[in-house]
This record gives sequence, structure tokens and C-alpha cells, in this order.
Amino acid sequence: MKNPEQLIRRGVHRKGIAEGIVKTFLGGMTWAVIAVALMIFGRMIWDGAPVFFKKEAPFVNMDFLTKKTETLHVFDDAEGIRHQLPASEFHQWKSSHGTDAVFNEQTFSYCGGGIAGPIVGTVLLTLLSVMMALFFGVSAAIYLSEYAKQGRFIGWVRLAILNLAGVPSIVFGLFGFAVFVLAAPILTDTPADRSLLAIPLGFTHLSFEGWGSSLIAGAATLACMILPVIITASEESLKAVPQGFREASLALGATRWQTIRKSVLPFAMPGILTSSVLSLARAAGETAPIMFTAAVAAKDDLPWEGVGSPLGVLTGQVQALPYHIYTLALKIPTSEYTERAQFGSVFVFLLMIFLFSAASVVLRNRVRAKMKW
Amino acid sequence: MPDTSHNPVPSGHPFCRRGRSTEGLIKAFFGGNAALTIVILVLIILFLLREGVGFFPEYRTELQNFRKSGLEFVDIARKDLTAHEQMGSLLNRAYFAQVNSNCREEMQRLEEATAIVNYLGEATAPAHDALVQVTDAESNSPPTPELLQKLSAQYRKRLADALSGRLGKGFPPTPHLSRTEQQLLCDQIAARDPLSTDDPAFANELQASLAAKRELSAAPLIAFRDAIDAFQSSSSALDVLVSETSDTVKATKEAAVLHGIQVRKRQTLLDAARTAKPDLRSQLEADIAAAVTTEPVDFTAAMAPVLARIPQFKEANAAMSAGLTEVSEKLPLSLSDEKADRYLKAFRAATPAMAAETADTVGLLEGWRADVPVGIGMTISGFISGRDWITGGEWQDIYGILPLFIGSLMISIIALAIAIPFGVGAAIYTNQLAGPRQQRFVKPTIEFLQAIPSVVLGFVGIAVLGTLLQEVSTLDSLSWIPGFPIQQRLNMFTAGCLLGLMAIPTIFTLSEDAINNVPAAFAEASDALGASKLQTIFRVIVPAAISGILAAVLLGLGRVIGETMVVLLVAGNRIQIPDFTDGIGTVFQPAHTLTGIIAQELGEVPFGSVHYRALFVVGILLFVIVLAINWTAQRLLRRFRISQH
Amino acid sequence: MDVTSGSVIPEAVQLADIYSIFLMRIIIRSFFSLLIVPFLGAVAGAQSISIKGSDTLGAKLVPQLAEAFKSMHPDVKFEIAAEGSSTAFPALANGTAQIGMSSRKAKPEEITAARAKGVSLNEIVVCHDMLVVITNKSNQIKALTKDQVAKIFTGQVKDWSEVGGTPGPISIYTRNTSSGTYRDWQTLAMRGRNYSSSSLKMASTEQIAQEVARNKNGIGYVGFAFAKAPGVTNVIINGVKPIAANAGTYIYSRACYLYVPQNGDALSRSFVAFASSPTGEEIAKKIGFVPNP
Repeated sequence: MKNPEQLIRRGVHRKGIAEGIVKTFLGGMTWAVIAVALMIFGRMIWDGAPVFFKKEAPFVNMDFLTKKTETLHVFDDAEGIRHQLPASEFHQWKSSHGTDAVFNEQTFSYCGGGIAGPIVGTVLLTLLSVMMALFFGVSAAIYLSEYAKQGRFIGWVRLAILNLAGVPSIVFGLFGFAVFVLAAPILTDTPADRSLLAIPLGFTHLSFEGWGSSLIAGAATLACMILPVIITASEESLKAVPQGFREASLALGATRWQTIRKSVLPFAMPGILTSSVLSLARAAGETAPIMFTAAVAAKDDLPWEGVGSPLGVLTGQVQALPYHIYTLALKIPTSEYTERAQFGSVFVFLLMIFLFSAASVVLRNRVRAKMKW
Repeated sequence: MPDTSHNPVPSGHPFCRRGRSTEGLIKAFFGGNAALTIVILVLIILFLLREGVGFFPEYRTELQNFRKSGLEFVDIARKDLTAHEQMGSLLNRAYFAQVNSNCREEMQRLEEATAIVNYLGEATAPAHDALVQVTDAESNSPPTPELLQKLSAQYRKRLADALSGRLGKGFPPTPHLSRTEQQLLCDQIAARDPLSTDDPAFANELQASLAAKRELSAAPLIAFRDAIDAFQSSSSALDVLVSETSDTVKATKEAAVLHGIQVRKRQTLLDAARTAKPDLRSQLEADIAAAVTTEPVDFTAAMAPVLARIPQFKEANAAMSAGLTEVSEKLPLSLSDEKADRYLKAFRAATPAMAAETADTVGLLEGWRADVPVGIGMTISGFISGRDWITGGEWQDIYGILPLFIGSLMISIIALAIAIPFGVGAAIYTNQLAGPRQQRFVKPTIEFLQAIPSVVLGFVGIAVLGTLLQEVSTLDSLSWIPGFPIQQRLNMFTAGCLLGLMAIPTIFTLSEDAINNVPAAFAEASDALGASKLQTIFRVIVPAAISGILAAVLLGLGRVIGETMVVLLVAGNRIQIPDFTDGIGTVFQPAHTLTGIIAQELGEVPFGSVHYRALFVVGILLFVIVLAINWTAQRLLRRFRISQH
Repeated sequence: MDVTSGSVIPEAVQLADIYSIFLMRIIIRSFFSLLIVPFLGAVAGAQSISIKGSDTLGAKLVPQLAEAFKSMHPDVKFEIAAEGSSTAFPALANGTAQIGMSSRKAKPEEITAARAKGVSLNEIVVCHDMLVVITNKSNQIKALTKDQVAKIFTGQVKDWSEVGGTPGPISIYTRNTSSGTYRDWQTLAMRGRNYSSSSLKMASTEQIAQEVARNKNGIGYVGFAFAKAPGVTNVIINGVKPIAANAGTYIYSRACYLYVPQNGDALSRSFVAFASSPTGEEIAKKIGFVPNP
């Protein structure tokens, strides 16, 4: 019989080896995931950053960000030198050098110029949708956290929120297409044939014939999609406000609404807004819901150009970065001439998304640090 | 806002009521906003149903027409023909595999020579094309001599660069061509007129020697060839019959469709005329008068000549059966080439089934009746279990969801097979084994992954990963992996990898949560009993958290099935049930998915058509599947929480 | 409850006030102004032409015609969506497009649907297009017969060795179903039979060319304008090379149409006139379409 202490030690030692192996294995898996993610980012940054940045001030390729999308013409001149020019410059070149001087002309749609249209479109879509979702979402959250008592209605609302959060984005696309594009109400003098219901109002008709594929339809669809996220986050922020604030306010004789407005919302607002930044990233990143409701592959104008009234902005279609990337990935073959547009767009897009995400993380931490009761 | 609370108003005073009623209004306003979520969910369901529910009756009418005009009849006969063609193709492949088995060397030599020709051709293409352009006879002005000279100089320079292997990916490797042969080929191309694209003499020689070798190795197989030819021609009678009758029935169907359109057109015009302005109305009325120009189709009469040919079908069928028995006798017992032999065996294995099917056909044709109505149950079951999704065709649009569903399922399985071990493994590691510093880095980084938009991952798949996997798969050292080398760079595996990457953060976060929520007392009790760290983790903590982990996996699955952009871009879009005979290699086949088909086709179908409605039915199905998954996950989570208390 | 302890509250209130007072109000106000939005009529942009339809025309020809047209009329704006011929007619009928592009003739039901909304369509043949069968550059097969092509695309022939090539399973790349090219090819090359179910449905012609260039056993069809893509061979059909000079004898040839409403605006009509003018034909020829005989 050996010393029991040694036995224990040996056992522990053997287990230590096993533990080390398992730990290395699991750790390896964890770090492999991170490595793959970094490799993907690395590739996107490697190819995309040279488009976005440049050596001389202002160090950012403003042309790429501010110019409109055009066809890229690639051709040789008589000397055998290869030129890459967007359509407008190409036509100038051609008129100054003569048509006969162009050889081996290749064209790549959407690959010349910059991506001002898609950037502007995405920003508009995202802001509009977040604004709508915030209004409805915060109101719903106030009801849930301040007014509601446990009951059947609340049960239904919570079930709806849970289920909405799981609906696939393409189904939201179908929904937006069927509801906002084809069936939402507008005021018009001549209701269309496919109108579901046209109510005469005397001077005009209220016709349920849809907004058509437009900025507002796309934003509304996106708003429906991010609504559950915003409600959940807002409710959490509201619940985090100490009960004593409300009690104190009510004890001073304030009404429920005054209490909410003066003593609850101001303290919950920072939390609500930071978490809504995250849904901003989600709304900006989705493609499927806007494919049929708002996005268009090519558009000469920025949304506010060439419209009759300010409201025309909302009824027009827009380009959007994710849809632009989809078009570039699917319809344009990858080659050395298209990589600038493809990787550049992806880089700008990722940059936008990560700025949103990082902003939300930083904000969250600052708010958490300051708002302690 | 009237501030009534400071005033000592007696209860029941109108002021107080007003105050209360404003409060009530405010509450109702917020309550209404909360109800909005229910409204949206109900709207989603309502509108999906509204657009989708019309599908089945309309599809049923289409199928009814399909039957009445006799398309179905021809399809019965054509099924044999298709089977026969497939069998013929099998035999042909066996034959050519056998013939080619002796010519491998020649084929490789020719391939390498072609590679050189292509390489040089591509390298000189810009200059060559420019020369062609300026010397084009149709162009208005003949080129100036200096321009010609400039372009020729470019051509020679590019050729010289290419010959020294400085362009593109460099000179292609040629292990089966000798140094001198390679030199000869290059010289011949260099000597070629810049304007010509003819193959150099040496390539033609190689071609000729390959042809000669093929002829030589085909010589002993003459009997086999004859047998195949006889087999293939045994279906010619049926082929003629089918194509003739299909023209007849197609004409019937077109006439019926045209008549239907005219009737509907008249109705639309009538409706339009009722509300139109006077000037347009007179125009429309003229149109209405001219709208219906064809008679309604008499299906029975139209079908009569086709049905009258049943005896001919019988004859053709018999000829085909005879051909099958005949060829089975004449086939060689086995072939020396392994691949050829496999095809031959496959043919032998399929023969009885084919014979039985052919024998059944006559009965089916004779028993076929145009006037049997298509049941709604049959329409629905045909939709759910249909193996084809054929749209936009000339013959008949068929909507069967099975290939799409299987595509979605396969891709999800691949994705989960990747995401579960990595997601759960990382969660266990991070929560239990890693130090706090690692934790602080790993958790946000993996959660950050969630923020990558799916379209970017799709782009990664199409621009980087697909090509990378395909190139890796052609390495000789990896050819033992089933399915390698990959033929289509866009396939289920590529899509599954990317979706797996998307599911990892979901699974990781929720599993980590579940493990974290296991009460500390469990671990402490286990430690106290002397269990090692590993025992504690795998025997106590993980089992305690298992329903939470399962819920995480299910939520990950919900996310993967509902994902659109990645599969649309990367999965390859082939609407066919994968061929599972490849074993594990099946995952390298392309597929189409439920989400992908909606995204690809919805923007392009006319509103209200059967096809449009079919896509909404797919949407409903998707909605139900994802909802069911999420619901199960929520149940699991609830159980998990209850078990913690 | 430690609500009142410490000096945290004032700071928090400050921060919260900044947020809430500004943002809350901005959000609420802009939201209410948004509520007015649905009640709008359609607002048509001045001097802009919206063109929808075929990818064959919309990927290269029409954008370049538009760019050339713009160099003459600088204030004209274009909106081009090329998602398939089937998208052209509903858009024309609903008035969301002024010009429709199609690589096939309009179906009777499409014309009727437009007519019912008071839109009669004018049909203009802008040019002809040849459909070119392409294979991978390394494929030994440089010529096929019409019959072989039909057999390949219907799936009767599954291996390149069956048509005399190096053994390898054939991968078929086709357009997706809404494309006019998809249907035209069925009529022109396959006697109306269905595509093999193993065909891969691609979203654009360019993608077909790209995938065939990457797959050594691939085959596909593209409009003549795309046939020069790198890495592919143009297959000779029945001994006729698919080049512009052979437009008369090449069998897979079809007309391409533009559709405009009869009562359409002058601008879109002048664009269509420009498309069929000699300058337009010159552009079409350069890109790889065959001018009208």
C-alpha cells in the first residue's frame, strides 16, 4: 500500500494532463473561429482599404464616396496602354481622341465612379426606419413596463414580440411587398384598378393601392423588422430605472404620465438610444426586406434630385449599399477591374456597420458607468 | 397638460374626471402602440394567406387544363422516352469511358497543348483583337501604316513576354510534352499570322493522333457500339410519336389559354370601360367588340386524334421493350475500365425497373381519362411532395417544393454540423476554462461576428471562399476526399460553411448564457465530492445546462433556415433533389432553397399569377417552420429556467 | 433603496436631459411630420426616363445608349432596372416605367393587361441578338450540332465524352426563369422541351460566362455581346461560327424589342428613335448586337 497522498497527487496529475488536452482542444476551436473571422475581415480590409484610403490629404478617397455610380469602360489606346474610365470621362476621352483610337473595349456596369447613391440611400432608409421603430417601440415599451398588469393582452403582446423577432427577413420582404407596396393607403384622385378599397372623400379618394416600391415602403418594412428589438431593449432600460423614482414622483402628487415623462423617461432614454444604435446596424445591414420594397440597382439621381416636392423623396426608389453589393456580387463577374467597386463598397459598408456597433458598445459602457443608483 | 393633482378637487368633479380621462387616453395610446406588435404579426399572417391561399385553386385549374388538353397523356409516354434516353446515356458513357481508357496519354498531351495555345492566345488577345478591328473590311477607313505597325509591334512584344512566361499565371506546366515538342508548338504559334486564330499544326497533329488512337481502341468494341446504336434507335418510333402528339396537345392548350385570355380581356375591358372617361370609353368599347375572336376549345374533339394513336404507342412501346431485352443480351459481361464497368453495372441494375415501367405504360395510357377532375387534395399533396419546380417553361409549370425544402435542410445540416461543435465548444471554453483576460477578448469578438451583414458573407463566398475551395480541391494530395475535385464552385458546402459562421455567435452567446446560469452550488457540490474540473464540466454543468444549449442550437437553426442572401449568392441555384449516391460528396452539389427561390423570383413575376402565389405559399411554409423552431426553443428555455429554481 | 446616495444623480440627470430633451422631441416631431407621408399623390420627376425589363438589353446596350443620349441631352436622367423581360410589362402598365426592354415578344395577356389600364404598347425592334453557346476554354469541343446542343440542355447527354470530348460530367448554366432568354432558348434550341433539372439558374448573363470560365465541364448560353468574356470558347453550331458576319445563317438568333406607350411622353419617344438611329445602331454593333437588316 502506497502513501495515499501520493495516490491522490498522481490522480490529480493524470487528470491535469487530460484537462490540459481538453482545454487546448476547446481553446483551439474558440481561437479558430476568431481566426477565421479575422481572416475574412483581413481580406476585405486588404482589398478594400486601398480604395477607401489614399496617401495624400484628406487621406480618404472622396471621389469614391461622393460620385455617382457609372459604367466602367476599360480599353486600350493605340499605344497598347490600358485605360479605365467611368462613362462620362470615357465619352470625353472618345470625343477628344476619336472613336478609332479605342481598342478592346470592355464595359462593367455599376463599377465606375463612386457609391454616393447607395450610401445616401442606406442612410435615409436606416434613419427613417429607426425613427419609426423608436416612436412605436418606445411607446409600446412604456405601456409594457409602466402601465400593464399581467393579463391576457400582455401575454399576447409578449408572444407577438417573441414571434416577430424570429420571422425570417425574407418573409418581412414578402410582407412589406404585399402590404406597403401593394396595399397601403394613399390619397389619389384616380384609384388604380388593383386598389383593395377606395373610399371617396369628396374632394379625392383614399385608396388602398400601396405606396409602390419606394423609400417609405422600404423604411416601414425595416421598421417592422427592428421593432421587437427596440421594444425589448427599451423595456429593459425602463425597468432599470429604480422604482423609488416613480414612487417619489407619485407621492408628490404627479400623475402617471407626468411621472413617466419627468422621472422615468429621462433616465431610461440613454439606455434606449444606445441599444437602438445596434438596431441601426441591423436595419442598415439587411438586404432581403428592401429587395422588393425600395431598392433599385441603378439610379442617376440622388433621392432628392429631380423630385417635384420634398415628399417626392419618400415616394422614389433608392439605391442601397447592401443591394448594391448584392448586384455587384451576382451580376458583375469578378475581375481586376471590378474589384475596386466590389471590395470598396464592401469595405465602406463594413466600416459603417462597425462604426454603429462600436458606437453602441462605447455608449453602453459610458451610460452604465454613469447611471448607477 | 392640465396639472390637476395639486388642486384639492373633490372626487367626481368634472376637472378630476377630465384629468382621469386624459390619463386614460394616454394609457390607451401606449396600449395601442403595444398592440401594434400583434397587429403586425396578424397582418403578416393575413397578407401571406391572402396572396398565398389563392394558389391552390388556381394551380388546380392549371392542372385541370394540363389534363384536359392532353399534356398529361403525352407526359406519361414521354416518361419512358426520358428513361430510355438516360439508359442510352449510361451505355454511351460506358462505351466512351472504355474507349478513352486507352487514350489517356494522348488526351493529356492534347490538353496541355491546348493550354499552351490558350495561354498564348489570351496573352496576345488585346493586340490581336485591335488588329482585327482596324483591318475589318466593313470599317470605313483603312488603317494608317503606322497604326498597323504600332499594333503589330504590340502583338510581338506581348507574344515575346508570354513565351518567356511573364504574363498571367505564367507558362502552363506540360509534363506530358517533351521540351522539343513544346518548343515546336511555340514556334508554330509565333510564326502564325497575327490575324489568324487557327490551331497550329502540332495541335492538329495531336488531335489527329488522338482520333486515330480512339479509332484503334474502338475497333474491338464494334459489337458493343452496334448494340448501343440499336438500343438507341429502338425508341425512335416513340420519339416521333411523342413529338408529334405533343405538338397537337400544345396547340390545344394554347388555344384554350388564348380563349381564356380573350374572355378575361373582355371582362377587364368591360370593367375598365365602366369607369373610364368618355373619350377612352369609345375606344375601349371598340376593343371589347373585337376582343373574343376564338371559339371555346372542344377538348374531347381535340384529344380524339391523339387517343386514336394509342395502338401506335403500343407498337412503339413494344419496340422499345424489345430493344431493351436485345441490348441486355448483347452487352459485354464486363469492361476492363473501372469507370466503364460501373456505368455498365448501373445499366444492368436499372434494367428490370425500366422494363417494368415500360410494360406499365400501355395500361396507363389506355386507362387515362381526360375528364377525371383533379382533386384539391391531389394538388396540395403534389405541391408538398413534388420533385420538380419548373417555371417559365413552354410545356407546363410545375410547382413541387421538395427540392427546395431538401436544399434548405441540407444546407442547414451542414451549417449546424459546423456551428454546434465550434459554438458550444467555445462557450464551454470561455465560461469554464479560459482566464478572465481571454474571456474579456473572446466574448465581444465572437458577438461582433453577429454584426457582419449576410450580404457581405455572401460576397465573401462568391468572390473568395468558393474559388479557394475549388482550387484546394484540385490538389492531388486531397483527391481521397469524396466529392473532390469540386466541379461547381457555388455549392451547398460553401453556403453551409458561411451560414455556420453566421450561426456560431447565436449558439455561442446563448449556450454561454445557459452555462453561466447553472447555479454555482452545482459546481461547488461536485468539487466537494472530489470530482476533477473536467468531470464537473462534462458530468454536472453541461448536463444541467443542456436544455438551454439545445434551445441555443434551435435558435441557431431558425436563423440559418431563414437566411436568404448567403444561399441566394452562394448555393448554386440548382432546383433538383441532390443525388445522394455520391455519399458524403453530395454536399459539394449545388442546391436551391426556400428563401432563395422567393428572393430570386418574386421581383420578376406578374402580380397575382399562379407563380406569384406559389412564392407566397413558400413564404408561409418558411414562416411556419421558423415559428415552430422558435417556439420549441422558447419552451426549452422556459423549462431550463424552471429547472434552475 | 440607495436612490439618493452620492452625487451621481445630478450628473446623470444632466446627461439624461441632454438626450431626452433634444432627441425625444426630434424623434416625436419628425415622426408626426412623417405621418402625413402616406397621404400623397404620385410625384413624377421631370425630365427623367425610367426603363425596365430585360437583362440582355439592360446590362450593356441600354445603359450605353442612355449615356450617349445624355451626352447630347445633358439634363435628362435615367433609371434603369434590368431584372428580366417579364418585369417590363407590369411596369409599363402601372406607369412606373416609360420604356420597357424585352428580349422576347410581349405575350397577349401582357398586352391586354396594359390595354386595360389605357396603355397601348408600341413595339420597336431595336436590334437582333445571337445566342452563343459557350464552353470552358480548356474544353476540346469547339463545334456542336443543333441536335447535340438540344440533347445537352435537356439532359439526355450527361457526359462530354458522349459528344466526343474529354470525359467529364456536363454542368449546365442557364438564366433564371423570368428571363426572356430562358424562354427564347427553349424555343430556339430545345424544341420547347424542359431544361434538365440539373441546370444551374444564374441571375445574369455575365454570371453564366463567369461560372463557365471557372468550371472546366461547364456549358451555357449568352447573348453575343457577352460572348467575348475571358476563359470561354464560342462553340461553332452546325458549322456556322457565331460572328456578326454570319448573322443571317446562324440559327440561334432573335429580335430584341423596346416597348413604349402610344401616348408616351416626347422624351422617351425621342430616346427610342435615337436607339434605332444610325448612331444607336453603331453603339449596338460595337457592343455585339446585330443591327436590323
